[in-house]
Amino acid sequence: MTITLLLASVGTVLLALLVGVYCVTAVDRAVAARITGEPRSPLLLAPLHTAARLWHAPHNETETPDRSAWRLAPVLYLVLAAMGLALVPWSRDFVPVDLTTGIVFWGAIEPLATVLIFLKGWASNAHFPLLGGYRYVSLGLSYILVSMFVLIGVALPAESLQVSAVVEAQSELWNVVRQPLGLPLFLIVGLGVSFWGPLNFVDAEDLHGGAASEEAGRVQLLWGLGRAAMLFAFSAIAASAFLGGWHGPWLPGPVWLMVKTLAVVWMLVALGHYVPRVSPERFLTIAWVILLPLAFLDLAWAGVEALL
Amino acid sequence: MSAVDITFFINAAVAIFAGWRVFVTDSMVRASFFLLISFLAVGVIMLLLAAVYLGVALFFMMAVEMMVMALFMVMFMMNPAGLNPMKMVHQEKVAIGVGVVVFAALSAVAVFGEFPSRPVPEGLQPVVSLGHELLGKSMLVFESAGVTLLATMIAVVMLTSHRGRYGDANHGSQPPGLEPGGDPADKPEETEEGGHHHHHHHHH
Repeated sequence: MTITLLLASVGTVLLALLVGVYCVTAVDRAVAARITGEPRSPLLLAPLHTAARLWHAPHNETETPDRSAWRLAPVLYLVLAAMGLALVPWSRDFVPVDLTTGIVFWGAIEPLATVLIFLKGWASNAHFPLLGGYRYVSLGLSYILVSMFVLIGVALPAESLQVSAVVEAQSELWNVVRQPLGLPLFLIVGLGVSFWGPLNFVDAEDLHGGAASEEAGRVQLLWGLGRAAMLFAFSAIAASAFLGGWHGPWLPGPVWLMVKTLAVVWMLVALGHYVPRVSPERFLTIAWVILLPLAFLDLAWAGVEALL
Repeated sequence: MSAVDITFFINAAVAIFAGWRVFVTDSMVRASFFLLISFLAVGVIMLLLAAVYLGVALFFMMAVEMMVMALFMVMFMMNPAGLNPMKMVHQEKVAIGVGVVVFAALSAVAVFGEFPSRPVPEGLQPVVSLGHELLGKSMLVFESAGVTLLATMIAVVMLTSHRGRYGDANHGSQPPGLEPGGDPADKPEETEEGGHHHHHHHHH
């Protein structure tokens, strides 16, 4: 019985991760095609072709890299995404890992991901990757605080740090309505944690591709998979924390969760394409002067709302 | 041996191994992250001890802390980016002596000490009780300690950054010369005044 449940949990998370990575890539292509006006490539297998090409491409070598860190970092990043996805409840009864401190655990995944993204830039021992890595960390620390405050705000009405309890507390009213500042702030964090779009400071174009400039072959493939997986896991957490998770009429819970998660994926990918990239200096100011006080406000709002 | 035992032994071994690597490695960044691995393993052991909040809190606190530590060490020290080889141990004889004594003392406590057997009562909620403790009768102590630590951190940064790498932080800082006593490196050449004087740039 326990073994079956364990296998079902592991299987669900892995399957969701595979489907999620594919969906993120497909949505990204669709949004890009819509913006550029080019007809959407008819080949549904295109992401798989890209993956196969990268898998067979040769590996890049730099001068005295930290080899183990360079190869381990993308794998561990993918593992973190899987651990985050495991926290998401699929229905009232089925939660792969229902940790009593699930919200805090997600709060731990974000800084651990930051460490790995730093290693992505640091380990190759090359100029542009190093700049990208350092820049990412110095900017990343600013929105991790935002994430913490927003998550505490979500935990307040549930009176619990358990993700399933947070979802349960939204049966009447979703947190996106109850705490209107929460989801927009959290989406910015999501772009940062999966270094996507305007917050891709580590692989940025102005640094010649940054950390990605020395990556090739399987390392590049793994990072591509990893950030798509992280974006998906983040979206699932956001859907559970703000959009009521598996709650919804007529359809079964897992379907609702998937629909909401894909909606968040679409929002993030569209933001990534439509929002222009600000310069790092300006983003640092925006993060500390605007986003962080807004996160305080969100938390104070949540606290007052919980008291009333 | 149960699964809990196996998990404990694996994580204990990882914690000790990574802790040892901290002192063997020759890079500040690697040392920070080995320390992080060691702490993560300890966090898992805390989870095994049913300290659900403290274990998970250790994960995120140490992740942020080690990342910030690596960043600041590289910023304040003269090791570009932390990739250059660097000796990570100082005063080895004293350190080895202290290490052996502390290890012996802690082991003696573990082996010879009598620990009370106080099983956790059924239905105890560790997170809830910890919250009541932290924000209940111990609130003053914890909040005072927190504010004091914050003030200390700010003061330490102020004190260390008062004198920058190239001179007093209040004055226009200058990089050292390429040769001893030479002109500051990385500075545009000045034509009229003759660049051989040791001039300060006062930015008022």
